[in-house]
Amino acid sequence: MRVSVLTTLLLFVQCVIQGCSSTAPREYPPPVVEKGQQAAVQPSASRRDAPLQTQPYLPPPVSAQDAAIVRSQPPAVVALLDQAEQQANAGELESAAASLERAIRIDPRNPVLWYHLATVRLSQGESSQAEQLAVKSNSLAADNRSQQARNWQLIAQARREQNDPGGAAAAEQRARELGPR
Amino acid sequence: MAKRRKRGRKKARRKVVNRKPFWTRLFVILAILMAGYIAWLDYQVRHQFTGTRWSLPARVYARPLELYTGLELSAEQLLSELKALHYRPVVSPKTPGQFSRNGKDFQLLSRAFDFWDGQEAGQNIRVTISGNRIASLSAGNGKQAVSLARLDPVLVGSFYPAHNEDRVLLQLDDVPVSLTDALIAIEDRDFYSHHGVAPLAILRALLVNIRAGGVVQGGSTLTQQLVKNFFLSSERSLVRKANEALMALLLEWHYNKDEILEAYLNEVYLGQDGNRAIHGFGLASYFYYERPLTELAVEQYALLVGLVKGPSYYNPRRHPERALARRNLVLDVMAELELIPPEQAASAKNRKLGVSPFNRKAINTFPAFLDLVRRQLQRDYRDEDITSEGLRIFTTLDPQVQWQLEKVLEKRLKGLEKGLKTGAGTLEAAAVVTSVQGGEVLALAGGRNPKFAGFNRALDAQRQVGSLLKPAVYLTALEQPQRYTLATLLDDGPLTYTARNGDKWQPGNYDRKNHGEVPLYLALAHSYNVSTARLGLAVGIDPIIRTLRRLGVEQPLNPYPSLVLGAVEMSPLHVTELYQTFASGGFRTPLRAINAVLAADNTPLQRYPLSVYAAVEPAPNYLITTAMSYAVREGTGRGIYQVLPDSREVAGKTGTTDDLRDSWFAGFTGDRLGVVWIGRDDNQSTGLTGSSGALLVWRDLFVHFSGPGLAQTAVENIEYRSVDPKTGLLADAGCPNAVQLPFISGSAPVKNAPCFKGKRSLSAPVDWFKELFQ
Repeated sequence: MRVSVLTTLLLFVQCVIQGCSSTAPREYPPPVVEKGQQAAVQPSASRRDAPLQTQPYLPPPVSAQDAAIVRSQPPAVVALLDQAEQQANAGELESAAASLERAIRIDPRNPVLWYHLATVRLSQGESSQAEQLAVKSNSLAADNRSQQARNWQLIAQARREQNDPGGAAAAEQRARELGPR
Repeated sequence: MAKRRKRGRKKARRKVVNRKPFWTRLFVILAILMAGYIAWLDYQVRHQFTGTRWSLPARVYARPLELYTGLELSAEQLLSELKALHYRPVVSPKTPGQFSRNGKDFQLLSRAFDFWDGQEAGQNIRVTISGNRIASLSAGNGKQAVSLARLDPVLVGSFYPAHNEDRVLLQLDDVPVSLTDALIAIEDRDFYSHHGVAPLAILRALLVNIRAGGVVQGGSTLTQQLVKNFFLSSERSLVRKANEALMALLLEWHYNKDEILEAYLNEVYLGQDGNRAIHGFGLASYFYYERPLTELAVEQYALLVGLVKGPSYYNPRRHPERALARRNLVLDVMAELELIPPEQAASAKNRKLGVSPFNRKAINTFPAFLDLVRRQLQRDYRDEDITSEGLRIFTTLDPQVQWQLEKVLEKRLKGLEKGLKTGAGTLEAAAVVTSVQGGEVLALAGGRNPKFAGFNRALDAQRQVGSLLKPAVYLTALEQPQRYTLATLLDDGPLTYTARNGDKWQPGNYDRKNHGEVPLYLALAHSYNVSTARLGLAVGIDPIIRTLRRLGVEQPLNPYPSLVLGAVEMSPLHVTELYQTFASGGFRTPLRAINAVLAADNTPLQRYPLSVYAAVEPAPNYLITTAMSYAVREGTGRGIYQVLPDSREVAGKTGTTDDLRDSWFAGFTGDRLGVVWIGRDDNQSTGLTGSSGALLVWRDLFVHFSGPGLAQTAVENIEYRSVDPKTGLLADAGCPNAVQLPFISGSAPVKNAPCFKGKRSLSAPVDWFKELFQ
């Protein structure tokens, strides 16, 4: 009898120390797939499920023709392009992508925006989606050879990263045909 | 002790044990129990207070309105958006959430808001609207032109945990001092000096209660009230009271006053909305005044503080006179304690309660859309996370489009039923509207009653699609330019197909006629079944299924010949996915209802990015889209132009199933795609074709949009030729009905039609026409 009282008491104290609540501590929401922004804040938070070989972001080269195109955009689009570039340069790639998507929402048929988004995805190591976005940019750039050339350059790079040297060479060939970079 | 116990056990003779007096032993045991009990309470207090304290429902936001020069936006639309955001009209805006309007000139002080990509600062924005567009946009009292300003998004709903507790979490820094001052003045004047319990206050309350012969006054400190709400039931017993006091002391021992006050402000119960409990001042501010706490005036703080004593007794909506008296009492106390000057108290007392009318609808405004959001979330989050972690969900919903959709659906369905024998209330509908290039779901209707959160037909009604599937058949053909062009003549004569097992299939046209030889683009435009069936059998069912897969159709498809005439059941959302690929130039663009998810503390958790997959080569997609434009210009969709301006190019397709069970229309302009279905839940005949039903809803909706018409991007290997539709051969000025059709390079007809008279060949690409489409 005495034993059981003591045991109960001990169990009770242990319970108090270690916690016997039936409600387990809450878990936090699942996989954080945010890449750019988060990585800048906490570089240790690399995720096992997304082994990213992140490259430094290279601002896309801008030709005179492009500059003219960009200037002729609605100022809202220019502002968002600038913002995206700043974010990308600061390593906040996913924020840059979000800004570019905002720009695309405003001006959805602008090949320059799709190309920039492709560049961001390539920097994030998402070469397959980068290629698709560059193809999309191409489909909207029938009258802009230099934009097409840049798209094919990007496609070539994306294909190299997907271990497709043949496809990469073909894309480079297309880029050359369309004029000097 | 161990020794003694051992001996006692060995000898099994209890009497030998040298006992201490009974009372001492009892006291020791009680003391140990008491210590244990206090330790347990202490654990409870700390665990509850330090861990996640509250289940926070997820908040779902519409897309934020992005203001920029040139945006298609009428003054009424801006007004409705500001109204939905509960911006208040004033003469001259002074605090965030206020605006003034002078005709088409708006001045507004926007609220700061945390988005995925950072905080949007609140600013003084001036918007001038002209011709249903933003003509100019400036900030800082009109001094500097700005290119872009993002308003806070409309809250369109919440996902609540099972126990339906709701709150908007506050941090003490965000709480206006006048509110905390008033609260402390009314509920616990000694808050900053006591240790959790105030014996004098208890004594005072005891005296009052004894005199009154019942409980009329509580002597509880804020800390005790918090403890009571946090850990204990509302039962009034001595044991509970003792527990409460103990825990209050423990709480004060571990935490400072600010922490306790902050918890109190978030925990206190302030009202009830159906089965949803309103907790904390943050949510109460929205519940009673439809705006954030920081935007309230002093008499409104006074009312909220007054409600603490009894949210249902002083319910300002049900008992305004009690609430008013209570509010004024709080104001008097504030003046008495010199928290506010007496004149201010006097003028505040003269103001009305100003509580917004009770609006149950505001909770989950768009249940069908929220249903889609929830299903997309469930792929990545557990249910309990969705309802308890305070996720902030940024969706693609465009309230302007959604409101319009709901309005036209309701009106048109009523109108349609008047002309039918089936009677009122028999028809049902579903609709989806998306952005053409981004695949963002802008609006969604799961039935004709938009507030009904039941069967979501847009997602769950599996219905025969009929002719909506034909473009996939024609696309499969047009991807073989050496065999098929838009001008290829198809045989629409009677057809009997005998399957290998001997089954016979005799498709017929809707008008029960056969049309001889028809050019391919008109066979689609007029939705002829016989020529389509023949075409489908010629290109093969398996290649058609492969096309459908590429376009984004994922459900099982049976390789039967009837597939080519749409003997497939799909939900309106899946149909939208299919047409999204056509509309976006041949790129499969997965539909998204969510853009991003943030944690309660605004940490970015997850983005749902825009992604595209090249599914159809640009040239064949150009051709099939052109054929769908003809369907609207000349074919089954021509009713569109009875209302839409002739200049706005639309591509689309009607769908009608056997016995008129389903009426469909899918169509897109330069910026939006809409899919509409009308049918009956019991799958009986509606008496409607695609043209006489769904098309009308689509038209009602799209006439309200002033966005660009469809303008296909030029494709390198597309060239235009003038063609005689009768023969599918080259035409010139001698052919009265000649049409300009696009061809994939090298596939255009080379022979001249009989009507061809001129010497000059017109077979060269017609550049001016091509430019029209660029």
